[in-house]
Parts: sequence; C-alpha cells; structure tokens
Amino acid sequence: MAGRSLRRACVLLLAATASAVASAEPGSAGAPTIAAVRPVGSVEEGLWSEFEDYERELSASKLLIRDEGLHSYLRKILCRTVGAERCAAVRLYIVRNPQFNASMAPNGVMVVHTGLLLRMRDEAELATVLGHEFGHFELRHALGRHKSERNTMSWAAWLTVASSGSGGDLALFPLLMAGHFRFSRDQEREADLAGFEHLARAGYNAGSAANVWEKARAEGDAKATALGVRNQEDRFHGPMSSHPMNLERMSYLKDAATKHGAGAAFRGEAEFRSAVAPLMPMLIGDQIKLNDFGGSEYLLKSLAVDGWSGVLLAARGELYRLRARPGDIDAAARYFRDATLQPDCPAEAWRGLGLSLARLGDPKGANAALGEYLKRQPEAADRKMLEAMMGGS
Amino acid sequence: MGISAFRQLVLIGFFLAASPSVAQEKSALKPGFAFPPDRSVRILVFRPDVKVGSQSAGGVVTPNAEWTASARAHLSAALASVSPVGSANIVFLPELEGEGAALLADYRVLFRSVADTVLQHRLFKGNRLPTKKTGFEYSLGSGIAKLGQIGGGDFGLFVFTNDAFGSAGRKMLQAFAIGFAGVGVSSGQHAGYAGLVDLMTGDLVWMNADFKMGGDVREADGAIKRALQLLEGLPVAARQEAK
Repeated sequence: MAGRSLRRACVLLLAATASAVASAEPGSAGAPTIAAVRPVGSVEEGLWSEFEDYERELSASKLLIRDEGLHSYLRKILCRTVGAERCAAVRLYIVRNPQFNASMAPNGVMVVHTGLLLRMRDEAELATVLGHEFGHFELRHALGRHKSERNTMSWAAWLTVASSGSGGDLALFPLLMAGHFRFSRDQEREADLAGFEHLARAGYNAGSAANVWEKARAEGDAKATALGVRNQEDRFHGPMSSHPMNLERMSYLKDAATKHGAGAAFRGEAEFRSAVAPLMPMLIGDQIKLNDFGGSEYLLKSLAVDGWSGVLLAARGELYRLRARPGDIDAAARYFRDATLQPDCPAEAWRGLGLSLARLGDPKGANAALGEYLKRQPEAADRKMLEAMMGGS
Repeated sequence: MGISAFRQLVLIGFFLAASPSVAQEKSALKPGFAFPPDRSVRILVFRPDVKVGSQSAGGVVTPNAEWTASARAHLSAALASVSPVGSANIVFLPELEGEGAALLADYRVLFRSVADTVLQHRLFKGNRLPTKKTGFEYSLGSGIAKLGQIGGGDFGLFVFTNDAFGSAGRKMLQAFAIGFAGVGVSSGQHAGYAGLVDLMTGDLVWMNADFKMGGDVREADGAIKRALQLLEGLPVAARQEAK
C-alpha cells in the first residue's frame, strides 16, 4: 500500500514537472495595434501560417459576398470603432452563411456571416460585434486558447497514464476540460468588454451592446416556443460551455452602459438599413430555408416594425407554405396575395401564390398566378416544371 | 456526457487515434486504367496541401510555419524530380486569380470530400459500402475539364500530407507510459495521401494513402522518400522509375 502511494506521489511530481517544461516557451508581448503586426514566437507563427492557408481558400470561395459598397461600409464601421490605424491590420470577409455569427483568426482575418447582418438593426449593434471580434485579435486570444488546450491535454495525458499505471482511477479529465472552458468563457467576456470600450469611445450608442444579446435571447425564445421546447440557449449549459450565456452577456454589457452613462449616442439606423438593403432579399431567403419557423417569424416581425413590405410578406408566405401545417397554406396564400399588392412585390410572390392556390384546390387561380410569375421571370429555373403543372391541372 | 464517456474519449485520443491503419489497403486503381500508350501525358500538380507541426504530450498539434514552408517547397521539388510520368510532363499549376481561383477552390474542396470517402469506405475493407465493394467508381465530374484547360494537363495530381513530430514532452510521456503503466502511446503522426484525376472525365483513377508515412518532409532527402511513397502504386506502364 505504502509503495503504491509513493509511486503515485512520484507520478504526480513527474507530471507536474513535465507539464511545466512543456508549457515553457517564448511569451509574446504587445498588441496588434498597427497594420504591420507580425506574429511573435514560433507558436504564434505556426497559428498564423495555418490561417494563411485558411485565408487562401476563403478568399477564393464562392460563398464570399464581394459587394464593394457593403465592404467599404463594414470597414468604415470597424475603423471608426477600433481606430483608423488599428483597423488596417484586419482583412474583412463577408461569408454567405445564415447563422448568427462572426469570427476572428489570429492573423487578422475577420469573418462576418450574412446571418449577422440580418439580425443587426443599426450600426452601433454591428460595431458591438466587430469590436468583440477585434478584441479577440488585439488580446491575442487564439494564442492563449491554443496554449490552454495544449496544457489541458498534456495534464490529462500524464494523469491518465499515471492513474492507469498505479491502478487508481483519477477521473480528472472532466475537471481539466472544465478549466479549459472556463478559460474560454473568460476570453469571451474579455472580448465583450474590450469591444464595449471601443464602441463607447467611438461615440456609438453604448446601450446597443446589450441589445444584441437581448434580441438573441428573444429570437432563441421564439425559436424554442415554435418547437415546443425550452430555450436551451438561455440556460447554463454547465462547465463545458465555450461562451457565457446570452443572459449574462446582456447583463454585464447593460451594467457597462450604465456606468458609461449618456454620452454621444450614435446609432446609425438609416445608414445601416440602406447599406444592407440590396442584400436583404437574399438574407431573408436564406433564413427562410433554415427550417426555423419561430426564429424566422421573429426576425420578419422585427424587420416589419415600420410596416410589411412586399419582400417581407412574400418571405412570410414562403415560411408558412414550407411549414404547411393545417391552416398554414391558407395563411401563405393570404400573405402572398398581400405581397402582390405592394410596389416592391418580388416575382416569387406570384410563384408562391400559385403553388399555394394549387394546394388549396383552386387550379384556375393557381394557373393565373403561375402564369404571372413566368411572365415576370421568363428565365425562371423551374419554368418547365411549373408549365407541366399548369398544363396538367 | 458522463464521466465514463469522457474517459473513453481521452483514452481513444491518446492510445488509438494515431494508429488507425488496422486493415487498410494502401492504394486503389480504377480497374482497367492505363495511361494512353500512344502519346505522352501531362500531369498537372496542384499546390500540395502540407501541414507540419509538433505534437504535445497530450496530442495537441501546434502548427510550425517554418517546417510547413520548407516541407511544401521540398515536396514540390521532390514531385518534379521523382517524375511520376517523365520529368518533362510535370506541370505545376500557377497561382490563379478571379474565376480560375474560385474554380480551383471548388475542386480542391470536392476532391477532399471524395478522398475522405475513399479513405473511409474504399481503402478499409470492413467499411465498404454495399455498392462500392468492388471496382473504383469515383468522379469529380467532367466540369473539372476547365481546370485542365487552364493549367494545361491531362491528369491532375492532388497531394496531401499531415505531419506532427512528437515533442520532447510526448516522447517523455511515451517512455513513461510503457515503463510505468505498460501502455503504448504513439509519438508523432505522419499521414499522407495522393490522388490522380482524369481531367477530361473527372474520374478518380488512382489513390494512395498511408497513415504512417516515412521520410522527414522538412528535409530535401526525406521529401523525396515521402514523394516516392505517396506515388506508390501509380500505374507502372507510363511511369519512369525514380532514381
């Protein structure tokens, strides 16, 4: 027995030494405040080189939104938020992805999803997210995260080997992983607050930071309600969560705004709306295809605060048509018909109306609507199929 | 996830992941394929996908910029000198821009997906899908012909290598694990695969993969050894044996 304890003590001592040796490496200092920022130390150089390959592929991707106007608008917001000199270190990519997200690579590649643009309502909200991502960059979070991951796994490896050798059962892996995720959540909070500082200093409305998360919660609630479940995103997921809960983020950003007090409070609602407007039909269309009825309905309603445009009505019709629960097709036909009365009615509204009427047993009305669609969209990809439907009914 | 699941995960991670080649067939060739005997063919080599890093005690790989850059250079030179189908016929695809770059990016991703399928369901006998028991029927589609026209090649060669050299910490763990606990822990991972695509039809005609490759890709000599291993099984008829 005594021999085994001694062995175990030796093991732990050895493991501790080995991990300390493994994690000793050149530290990096300073923050990427200038355009010519370079990686410091071999680990950061390695991370950069990996993301250079990522950027090479990304920059040739078909999923990139290459709209010049939108790009320069986003860059303008970023530069206003983090400073004209510092923003030069960032290369911005807008990726067609309907999920609410943005990301930052250690080498200055910032990716903004189109799903983010659909959810932001003004410039200050978008600046909140861009500031958060820049916070990850300037605080060199990728490097810190990689080191945490490496140390966690090294400890886990040593202790697992040691425990299996001493016949014990040291189930420390979950604890170690929890430590790593706590570190990750701390990084997210740090980036949130760094982003907030930028936002406030740039003269943007400080309250907008909390708004982003308040609306994320509301969307999560709407999604969950439609599915008949509880909003999981708003509950503590336990020690393995990589990000703090939306509720928590909302709370401390609200506190930060209160502390900051009233000051310059630029929101840039009109500017944001007109910059994103050309992409709106695509953004909405991609969201509808996510099969997230509650979330999509919530977003459409939040976009329609000043009234339902033809584009929004047509999207709502499509949302109901695709869900097709009892009563949904009737509702869809109603929304499509309302859309056709609007000046900005998209041709797809006629298609949706025709398909809905066909389902409702009104072949005459269906044929008229589909005919109108094909008249407005002569190059429609589904022309042959629709013509077959019209002839067959 | 419960504790036991985590323990399982960690055990799999440390002891098994690095040695998966249990019943792997290294390469596969489309039945009946041969290079046309009447004319010389040109092989278009796409930028090798190379990753070199160091593996920490816990198995986390830290990419190494210097090693990766020199490995890519050495490997490209080695592919040219090893000359799969005669040195004059190796063409390296130049950097593309605009639509060409987008097309290339598309096909790189497509090739990777198809290659993953081949690795998982063709080169492992037990994993074969019911419709893929025999033969070698994989294609990227004839749209790839455009890439052949841009680069000027009859066949396209994709090369992937992923190396992680065991760090001092990993080697200490390995020695300790075998001495103290009697468990084998692998150190380092050296995986690679190469595939040849007919740039007219898009058919994958040959693929070769190995999870335990030799040759230190960071050195010129090692890269030649690696290139030879990567091209093992490439149809012999048209292939000049390397020095």
